Amino acid sequence: MNISFSFASLAMLFAAFALAPLLMGVILKVKAFFAGKQGPPWLIKYHTLVKLLQKGSVYSTSTTFIFKLGPVVSFTTAVMLLLFFPFAGMAPVLSFHGDVIMLFYLLGLGRFFTVLAALDTASPFEGMGAAREVFFSSLAEAAIFVILALFFRLSGSLSFAEYFTGTHAVNLWSESAALILLVVIALFIVLLTENSRVPVDDPATHLELTMIHEVMILDHSGPDLALIEMGAFCKMLFYASFVSCLLFPFQTGTPFFNIIIFAMVMTLVYAGVGLVESITARYKMDTVPNYILTSFALVCFATILTMEFVL
Amino acid sequence: MDTFLIALLLIAAGGLQALVTFRAYLLMKILAVSTIIGGCGLGLYNAVNQIFRQVEPFVCSCEWLQIFTFSLKIDAVSAFFLIPVFAISAVAALYSFQYMGDKERSAATAANYFFYALLIISMSLVVCADNLISFALTWELMSISSFFLVIYDFHKQAVRNAGYIYFFFTQAGALFIFAGFGCIYAHTGSFSFDAIAAIPESVKLTAFILILIGCGSKAGIMPFHIWLPYAHPAAPSHISAVMSGVMIKIGIYGIVRFYLLLAPTSVLFGQLIIVLGIVSGILGVVYALGKHDIKRLLAYHSVENIGIILLGLGIGMLGVATGHKTMAAFGFAGGLLHVLNHSIFKSLLFFGAGGLLRQTGTAAIDQLGGLMKRMPFTGRSFLVGSLSISGLPPFNGFISEFLIYYGAFHGLDLQGASFILTNLTILSLALIGGLAAACFTKVVGIVFLGEARSEAAAQASETGSLIIISQLILALFCLLIGIFPEPFVRAAFLASRSIPLLADFDSMQFLPVLSNIARTAALFLILFLLIAGIRKLLYSGKEITQSGTWGCGFTQPTVRMQYTGASYADSMVDFFRPFVRVQKKYSGINTVFPGKTTYSSHVQDTSETGLTLFLVRPILYLLGKLRWMQHGNIQLYIGYIVLAIVVMLIFI
Repeated sequence: MNISFSFASLAMLFAAFALAPLLMGVILKVKAFFAGKQGPPWLIKYHTLVKLLQKGSVYSTSTTFIFKLGPVVSFTTAVMLLLFFPFAGMAPVLSFHGDVIMLFYLLGLGRFFTVLAALDTASPFEGMGAAREVFFSSLAEAAIFVILALFFRLSGSLSFAEYFTGTHAVNLWSESAALILLVVIALFIVLLTENSRVPVDDPATHLELTMIHEVMILDHSGPDLALIEMGAFCKMLFYASFVSCLLFPFQTGTPFFNIIIFAMVMTLVYAGVGLVESITARYKMDTVPNYILTSFALVCFATILTMEFVL
Repeated sequence: MDTFLIALLLIAAGGLQALVTFRAYLLMKILAVSTIIGGCGLGLYNAVNQIFRQVEPFVCSCEWLQIFTFSLKIDAVSAFFLIPVFAISAVAALYSFQYMGDKERSAATAANYFFYALLIISMSLVVCADNLISFALTWELMSISSFFLVIYDFHKQAVRNAGYIYFFFTQAGALFIFAGFGCIYAHTGSFSFDAIAAIPESVKLTAFILILIGCGSKAGIMPFHIWLPYAHPAAPSHISAVMSGVMIKIGIYGIVRFYLLLAPTSVLFGQLIIVLGIVSGILGVVYALGKHDIKRLLAYHSVENIGIILLGLGIGMLGVATGHKTMAAFGFAGGLLHVLNHSIFKSLLFFGAGGLLRQTGTAAIDQLGGLMKRMPFTGRSFLVGSLSISGLPPFNGFISEFLIYYGAFHGLDLQGASFILTNLTILSLALIGGLAAACFTKVVGIVFLGEARSEAAAQASETGSLIIISQLILALFCLLIGIFPEPFVRAAFLASRSIPLLADFDSMQFLPVLSNIARTAALFLILFLLIAGIRKLLYSGKEITQSGTWGCGFTQPTVRMQYTGASYADSMVDFFRPFVRVQKKYSGINTVFPGKTTYSSHVQDTSETGLTLFLVRPILYLLGKLRWMQHGNIQLYIGYIVLAIVVMLIFI
């Protein structure tokens, strides 16, 4: 296992962790801009977290220890992801050949407990959200693994550090740019799915019947809810960084420029999410699988292309 | 005398004494359980020793009926399969002590212990058999003893039916195996295993496919899996655990053994196995999602896991055919380790299901609920089993799936059909993983969480202590293999050395990959504890209150409003509609003052309906025409036999 406790790696990790809530503000600002509103303040998510951390909690009499375990496990898995990700081309804190498989399975573990915590409340609405979450994410997970297979085909890599640092980096500026373009679109669809954004799920909706992620955490409150929220910010940050690293190789030679460009690309990705949310309506629940399968089809197409044109 | 034979004798003694002492019920159970556990322990020690010491294979043979030689040989592959046979059988014996609590049926219980001992012995002999005739004989012994175990509750019609279906499948499967043996014998002219590799390549494929169908029907490969969802719910739970956890793996052993013996060079074998693996894996889990009976659901999950094992073996075979050593080593090691892992968590889950059945009297998922509070130990160990079977870290299922992934990823530099199948393997593993997690969130969420949906579930209490202990032992191993995978993976690598390509390949160079997994898992656990600690700090001094679940504005919720297993899985099963037929019956609301409305759904197994329509009905039609031959006249029956012998003599 490659362990990098260098100042740069650790600093990037903490910066990512600290700035994840701020970047969520970008989405809100873009949406407000399209709606012709001023929008909430940039630091709104920090206010929310602080407010939640100061509160106590109300627990349903139906729940067991699983309900309290859910937020902790989902937050822990999100933190694990950040530990292995090479932000702005810096070496990640940890990495090993094969880590991507483990990390996506850890995400699965987080989801498993989130879903169980939802079912623990005995609420029919939360059951509904849970059923949708496991269905859609199992399709998204399959798409992710086809992407990983494609990356292995292109570069022989099996870890985030190998994907985005070193000589075999995969990105839009490499030889196989055409394929990566398809992957970027596919990954963006997966990002929207896995982070419960429009057009799959609407985080701002007010009717429980139509929610996916939000309805699953209805009964959580106080610090538990803060952990869930923070976990969701980290997960969003991870997917956005994944897309960003594909968009641009952060290999300018100067770490300072890398970080500046990385911050700009990240803002663009978040703004893109806000843009999609502003100009599209969400799909009906029964058409969401088709939407996710679009990403799947794109990567499969890219994979088939490698059979003829690469190697 | 060898330890292995002593172990078998001990198990046999345990089974035989039950037939004598059944009048003293408690004594019979104590003696049977303790001797079987003792024998299994000895056998397990011997098998582990065999693998790690890498001693010369144990060989033993004796003349039998003057013409047949009964011979045994324990090499690394046999020893690897002996581990789950002995380990799970021992824990299941412990479980049975309290589970078989019906004093009224002491004779039936004694017979059950006798056939149980016979099943353990026959299973361990199948994996050690060293010629065709020993394999066939012990295979039949295994089938017949397990048939008697299934029909323990023979006074129930459903159980008898399940028994007949199982018996039919097991015998039809054996016919295919014998046909495969016939192909081999026709070219080698001997029952020995040694000459098999020399037969022509085209015959190899035919023989392999015949044996694959035969062993596959035992293993539960789709579409030969139909007996599983009948037999598993019918059998007592520890028997379902051993059958699903261990016995079906003997089918896998048959496939592996004959693959090794035939030593084929074509990529076709690997491709065939991968295709079967994909079909069994994905459809197995989809059917499981649609099932409302917990034991039937677990039976379909066995089909799914057999699919995962086949994916591993198929990747290994592709690796061997293309000379890709990393792929071969990881594919075989992953497949073999999944055999062990599945035996552990599947038995654990069947034990849990048995405990539920015993305490609530129902196996219907939608009748249960909220059992985590009333059955805390069963609930927690079932949760561990569910996490393991979903392949999630840090539990054992992940380790074997990781090995298969690793092998498959490294096979992505192949070309053509092999590349597409390798890619499909990765895709199916991911999809199976996601759907398995969906299915087990359903089971845990509906059965153990929420509120009780029936009186029986509301009144349930924790099961007996031995039942709990046997579950805890297995749950512990699920976590142990997940956190310290190295010795187990080493065993799987050592067993896969039996493949000629890998004989001198240093697969141990890959063990660091596993230590990375182990470290990440440990890091995850540490981080988890740390964050749980921080959460505790955040809550110190805060006001924590209890209240009802938020009903989204509805103030009078009832437990009947909870999401059910059927509704949870509905959209997912619907997605796979071309392959899965769902029959829904809904009375509808069609009057101004609606009366009682009903809704029921039933997931049909396409291979079962297909088999009934295209195979069973035509055969029954034909045989119906020949019914006049069955007249009950014994003299004429003897005449048939004489006639048959005369006709055969003409051909000779």
